[in-house]
Amino acid sequence: MAAARKHIPIVKKRTKRFNRHQSDRYKTVKAAWRKPKGIDNRVRRRFKGQAVMPSIGFGSNRKTRHMMPSGHKAFLVQNTSDLDLLLMHNKTYAAEIGHAVSSRKRIEIIAKAKTLGVKVTNPKGRITTDA
Amino acid sequence: MSSNVSSDLVWAITRNNSSYIVKRGPIKDQIIFTREPLSLTNQHTRKHSGLVNEKAVGVQAGESGNVVLITKRNAEKHGNKPASLYNITTFNKHKSNRKIYSAIASAVAKKSYRADLRQAAVARASAIKRSQKPVKATPESKPRGVKAKKAAEGGVSSA
Repeated sequence: MAAARKHIPIVKKRTKRFNRHQSDRYKTVKAAWRKPKGIDNRVRRRFKGQAVMPSIGFGSNRKTRHMMPSGHKAFLVQNTSDLDLLLMHNKTYAAEIGHAVSSRKRIEIIAKAKTLGVKVTNPKGRITTDA
Repeated sequence: MSSNVSSDLVWAITRNNSSYIVKRGPIKDQIIFTREPLSLTNQHTRKHSGLVNEKAVGVQAGESGNVVLITKRNAEKHGNKPASLYNITTFNKHKSNRKIYSAIASAVAKKSYRADLRQAAVARASAIKRSQKPVKATPESKPRGVKAKKAAEGGVSSA
């Protein structure tokens, strides 16, 4: 398995979730983010001590966007011929086996990935069984 | 490609849609690969497209550890005869790596065929040679941490 190409450090400006305003107070208000729209809303008006709203400034550097901690980007793979595309890119992309791929084909894919030096992000899925 | 159709036209047609294209990921950061046999890096670009360019290079893994170099022949003579359009050179698996690379470099670049593809052609041949090596078995993972080690030892002694 090839290690990822050298890259600038991955910086996540924020790792906490943005919860919807007042989702902590009412169970009917779910945590999924909705921008507050009310005329008097203190979160919308960015008062001191209020929850921060998501904004483009929290985005990751373009160079490290979609990058895993290993430095690879995920590339979805359904069969071994998809894997051949990564022959020249095993330092940039890692293969991710599609969720509906059978265990028989997963074994083939993982064996092929090993010969090509391609990292597989989910090599244990459907292959290891509980004893 | 037949000589009476311009490369630019073919590129304009195949750029956004062709059976070779593989698109993955969100539109903004989309990865676009191509399965074309005459594409050295599998990137879907004008430079690397074997369908579009009148001169194109492909390096493929052959049977039983061979490496195959494919180049296109003169489009004016062979453009309308797809069967005879390609020059195919097979390098035996017993040939040394350096000899294969120098043969590819001379076929691709020194004869002023596609000098811009020299590096990619040699890199691909190298990657193929590496992939044809026998695979080492992954070493078994050892237990980490005091508890896990004790559990492993205890399991062995009791069994």
